[in-house]
Amino acid sequence: MEPPNLYPVKLYVYDLSKGLARRLSPIMLGKQLEGIWHTSIVVHKDEFYFGVGGISSCPPGGTLLGPPDSVVDVGSTEVTEELFQEYLSSLRESLFRRESYNVFENNCNTFTNEVVQFLTGRKIPSYITDLPSEILSTPFGQALRTFLDPRIQPPEGSPMGPPNGQS
Amino acid sequence: MAENGESSGPPRPSRGPAAAQGPASAPAEPKIIKVTVKTPKEKEEFAVPENSSVQQFKEAISKRFKSQTDQLVLIFAGKILKDQDTLIQHGIHDGLTVHLVIKSQNRPQGQSTQPSNAAGTNTTSASTPRSNSTSVSTNSNPFGLGSLGGLAGLSSLGLSSTNFSELQNQMQQQLLSSPEMMIQIMENPFVQSMLSNPDLMRQLIMANPQMQQLIQRNPEISHLLNNPDIMRQTLEIARNPAMMQEMMRNQDLALSNLESIPGGYNALRRMYTDIQEPMLNAAQEQFGGNPFASVGSSSTSGEGTQPSRTENRDPLPNPWAPPPATQSSATTSTTTSSGSGSGSSSSSATGNTVAAANYVASIFSTPGMQSLLQQITENPQLIQNMLSAPYMRSMMQSLSQNPDLAAQMMLNSPMQNPDTLSAMSNPRAMQALMQIQQGLQTLATEAPGLIPSFTPGPIGPIGPTGPGSTGSGGPPGPTVSSSTPSETTSPTSESGPNQQFIQQMVQALAGASPPQLPNPEVRFQQQLEQLNAMGFLNREANLQALIATGGDINAAIERLLGSQPS
Repeated sequence: MEPPNLYPVKLYVYDLSKGLARRLSPIMLGKQLEGIWHTSIVVHKDEFYFGVGGISSCPPGGTLLGPPDSVVDVGSTEVTEELFQEYLSSLRESLFRRESYNVFENNCNTFTNEVVQFLTGRKIPSYITDLPSEILSTPFGQALRTFLDPRIQPPEGSPMGPPNGQS
Repeated sequence: MAENGESSGPPRPSRGPAAAQGPASAPAEPKIIKVTVKTPKEKEEFAVPENSSVQQFKEAISKRFKSQTDQLVLIFAGKILKDQDTLIQHGIHDGLTVHLVIKSQNRPQGQSTQPSNAAGTNTTSASTPRSNSTSVSTNSNPFGLGSLGGLAGLSSLGLSSTNFSELQNQMQQQLLSSPEMMIQIMENPFVQSMLSNPDLMRQLIMANPQMQQLIQRNPEISHLLNNPDIMRQTLEIARNPAMMQEMMRNQDLALSNLESIPGGYNALRRMYTDIQEPMLNAAQEQFGGNPFASVGSSSTSGEGTQPSRTENRDPLPNPWAPPPATQSSATTSTTTSSGSGSGSSSSSATGNTVAAANYVASIFSTPGMQSLLQQITENPQLIQNMLSAPYMRSMMQSLSQNPDLAAQMMLNSPMQNPDTLSAMSNPRAMQALMQIQQGLQTLATEAPGLIPSFTPGPIGPIGPTGPGSTGSGGPPGPTVSSSTPSETTSPTSESGPNQQFIQQMVQALAGASPPQLPNPEVRFQQQLEQLNAMGFLNREANLQALIATGGDINAAIERLLGSQPS
């Protein structure tokens, strides 16, 4: 039997703050964060990511963020494109529905972590998955949470509420 | 509940009496391992013998998941497990997780949902630009952080920029064009609490590399920034756009008077170019444009030579209009360098106080000013009322007449007194002082008649410690009285006691004269002599006029001229 094809899997890492987090985090949070990480998976010549619009894909590096700040090679997979799409469609119905996006607990990095484990058995680097807990462990992060997490009601009288786009 | 492998598959040579059935099986019982099978939707644990084949494993799975075995695709470590493989072959041991995909019958559907999702992303992003930008802009402006770990926030903003600093600028533009949003943001308690934290603000300001350079060149700025009291006051003022507006306008007035002092204009200009401009340029790159960039170049000399006896009643040109930098008269330039009446002998500390206040002001007030200036240009009467508030004017006039007074006020009282220093570094003491100040403020509005009666007594004891709360470094020294006009915009009566009260506050701040109420004749000795020299021989009338205007010669002359028939 012919050996199955191996498809390389890459992790694209973006710093959403474009360097500001590295500069400002000691001041604002009290601890040093190297960046606000957003990740996506690139496999089968497509980039897959999870956002408020649900699981989406685009040509690699084709998001608003432009080219990634770093690329991590997470291995190879035998999973074919077809199988992968099946997998993604199951995910869309379960854990990663469009409305289940939560910036702290079920975000793009959660998705990426799941997918990479599925594809290669490895996890993504811990500095990425630890980010929400790092931030939430600071008082500033807790305060920020009221504005970013739609499950938390902002204090009474505040004109700011969760954005309408998130459930 | 984990099942015994025996019951779920074909007979295994594990526990039966005929133990040694197959040559391949181990003499002892094969170990049962627990393997987790994870699908996109669920997760189940299976106990299977270690040496199972994948086929057997799938059969166990198909029962649990109610699917056909040929629908099952098992993946481990990136490999697709084939039926004839064994678990050991792939290194599947106890406690590990295997991924499962159950192929659905209608496979094309899985692929067609994907483009629809991509389209869905765009519609979502288009439909929620406004609401998202409201919340995101709170967080990202002025601190410049996007949403955490999610492309979501950015894509749903509906903005086209890719570079984050462009994004920031775009958001700034949005804010500039939408005063309601700015007001919302300013009213947001979160923003306000951030603004009211001097440490945070100081660190933010210090983090700017241009600012750091500026501090190296002018070390007084670092002293300034490290003074929590000044920062607190500045931030309070910055938080309240109306207060800020009033302060700027009044200082503008004071400076226009200062220019008539010989050398005053040059001092102001020097102050601006040395300090203000680098600060504003430092602020420029973050916040989009130095509205006063053109000021330095287009300095008009006309204003400087002509002493302004009456204030300029026209609404000043709007320096913060979105197309950057409308023109400037020197009046506008003085608006930037809002000096607390510092004249030619202004210490650089004063200038730095002011410059830092303005730096913060330029950060926070630029968008907010927009709406305020709109309101104000629509209602010039408002400005006139504010400007003609006599005690405001009188204070500025007296300060401008005596620049040393102002310099002393800045240098002596708050700084030198060790009591105030220790009080300022004690947050509880500061809080208590603030409470007192607020109490006085409330009292001023509730029972204004009581205030003049405070005149002799409290000035004394409050004198050295009062500056800690009322005078501290801020240009409107007696904040009690200056906050009062912000609430009652119509000028109160030009009563003598009020004037004297102001005078005493100012004197007390400078620590220059005894707190006792001096005889107006004595106080206005100099002015009386001047009026005499000018030809106003009626000493009584001069005195009355001087008392009414608080020692302002020019205003007193007007009163005198107004009262005479010719």
